[in-house]
Amino acid sequence: MSDERHSLDCRQAVEHLYEYLDQEITPEIRHEVERHLRTCGDCLQHFEFERAFLRFLEARARARGASPDVKRRILRELFGTEGA
Amino acid sequence: MTLTTEERRRQFETEALPHLDAVYRYAQTLTGDPTRAEDLTQETMLKALRAWHQFERGSNARAWLLTILRNTFINEYRRRQHQAETVDLAAIEPYHVFEEVQDVDPEGRFFASIVDDEVLRAIQALPEDFREVVLLSDVEGFPYADIAKMLDLPIGTVKSRLFRARHALQRRLYDYAVEMGYVKRRAS
Repeated sequence: MSDERHSLDCRQAVEHLYEYLDQEITPEIRHEVERHLRTCGDCLQHFEFERAFLRFLEARARARGASPDVKRRILRELFGTEGA
Repeated sequence: MTLTTEERRRQFETEALPHLDAVYRYAQTLTGDPTRAEDLTQETMLKALRAWHQFERGSNARAWLLTILRNTFINEYRRRQHQAETVDLAAIEPYHVFEEVQDVDPEGRFFASIVDDEVLRAIQALPEDFREVVLLSDVEGFPYADIAKMLDLPIGTVKSRLFRARHALQRRLYDYAVEMGYVKRRAS
């Protein structure tokens, strides 16, 4: 238990959750978070859940690009008027 | 050095056009309307082509395009914008959906059942300030610092908006999944 000196509790670990998943965290805090996750199954599960959520969000929202028709119209507007 | 029309077009095609989907997504996020999104995308790309000589080669073309888009939106579109009904984020409890699904679906498998349209509706239902932060971070993958620069906000504000928006989205999508029977609400 000597390793517990500066270790985070669950509440503190979850406070860093998004910064950790976004990789916007200092190496020291990352280390502390990972140390907590190695010993806490509940938090590990919680972090994995949030990671799955962010991946899902990105994949689904990215599905919305411009349709081929929209792209064609925009390209015509861009270069058609330039005489190119 | 002045570029010929042909050189400018070639550079623009290689460096700006690959971001057309990202530009369109941001336009949709801000306007919430396909026709206006197309107009805004077109206007943004035209402005970018005309201002191409001002683009610093090697810098982030996507961030540059999205900034042009945002300024165009603020100056020319927002005034005409019909403000759609949005969720009141202050009313959203900042607790995690995970705590509710921990016993029944801790891996969040229910997310996979949710259709794209529902995800987009959930994003559109966020207030504009929050919607654009989610788009720039979670969809386009910009770091906090870049978003802060693009939106001219302190990093702390970007973070708090992002985290609250994620909570709100998660909550709404969870409620939808419960309603559709994709996940059981925990018996209380």
